[in-house]
Amino acid sequence: MPEPERTFDRLLDRLIHEPGRLAILTVLSSVKAADFVFLQRTTGLTKGNLSSHLTKLEEAGLVAIQKRFVLKKPNTNVELTSEGRRRIADHWRQLDRLKALSEAPPEE
Amino acid sequence: MDRKQIEAAAAANHYLRGLLAVPFGLLLIVSGLGNMGWGPFRDLWVVPVCVSLAGLGYLLLTLSYNDRYGRVTLKARAHMLAGTVVAMAVLIGVPVLVQVLDLPVNGFGLAWGAVALAYYAVTVGLRPHHVAIWGAVVAASLVPLWGDPRTTNSPNAGLIIVGVAAMATGILDHRLLVRTFGPPSDGVDVEHSNAGA
Repeated sequence: MPEPERTFDRLLDRLIHEPGRLAILTVLSSVKAADFVFLQRTTGLTKGNLSSHLTKLEEAGLVAIQKRFVLKKPNTNVELTSEGRRRIADHWRQLDRLKALSEAPPEE
Repeated sequence: MDRKQIEAAAAANHYLRGLLAVPFGLLLIVSGLGNMGWGPFRDLWVVPVCVSLAGLGYLLLTLSYNDRYGRVTLKARAHMLAGTVVAMAVLIGVPVLVQVLDLPVNGFGLAWGAVALAYYAVTVGLRPHHVAIWGAVVAASLVPLWGDPRTTNSPNAGLIIVGVAAMATGILDHRLLVRTFGPPSDGVDVEHSNAGA
């Protein structure tokens, strides 16, 4: 019998599946780019949580973070990398597949 | 966690910035009153002044929303471009058609009401206040009492009605934005909030 941890890893991307990171990546997948405040407002995450999740996602190469000044104010702009775009699409596809399986009538 | 819910939240944070509709609504009302030669609005200099004030108001509101609710760059989508083209065709075509066919309805109100309902349905989903306000605009425009648009003030009345509807929708959209994402100052330090990550 396979270990539950390994089965989970095979089925779902653990890095993406965490609710905060899943929300961030899903928001970013629906737009071209968004800044820190937009992500904070839309996901409802605290500043510290959002910052820590973004750092993890950037280290994994899923998002690109650009720090810049807009009208003399610091602005952190975030967008998905092509790898991030692919991974979040795959993840939702996998979740939809699992949901469909769970809703299918049991085989005789 | 639902994908559609998260995507809808992102869309709502962008499209419910309703106070941006207020300068536009004011401009329509001023245009209608100016065309009717009402009070100070009949003077020609009022037009550039009102356009400048509305533009300045829009700019300041945009900056304020960006600071408090964040900046977002939307994806360029082919269907949005197609939608804009269709909307322009309706906004220009329906009033012309009403005039050519000599129909006793308000073409301006009808066109703007229909386009507004379609716009909200596509972007954030129709909310009760969208249906109530723009549905009322469409219904009022269809009442066959407006008379010939060439000889009556019905196009200008249409401008004023649409202006008031745009402002009312905008204020209610803004209230919904605040209820959904928190008040403008809530938890966001405007000066340093974007220095995260």
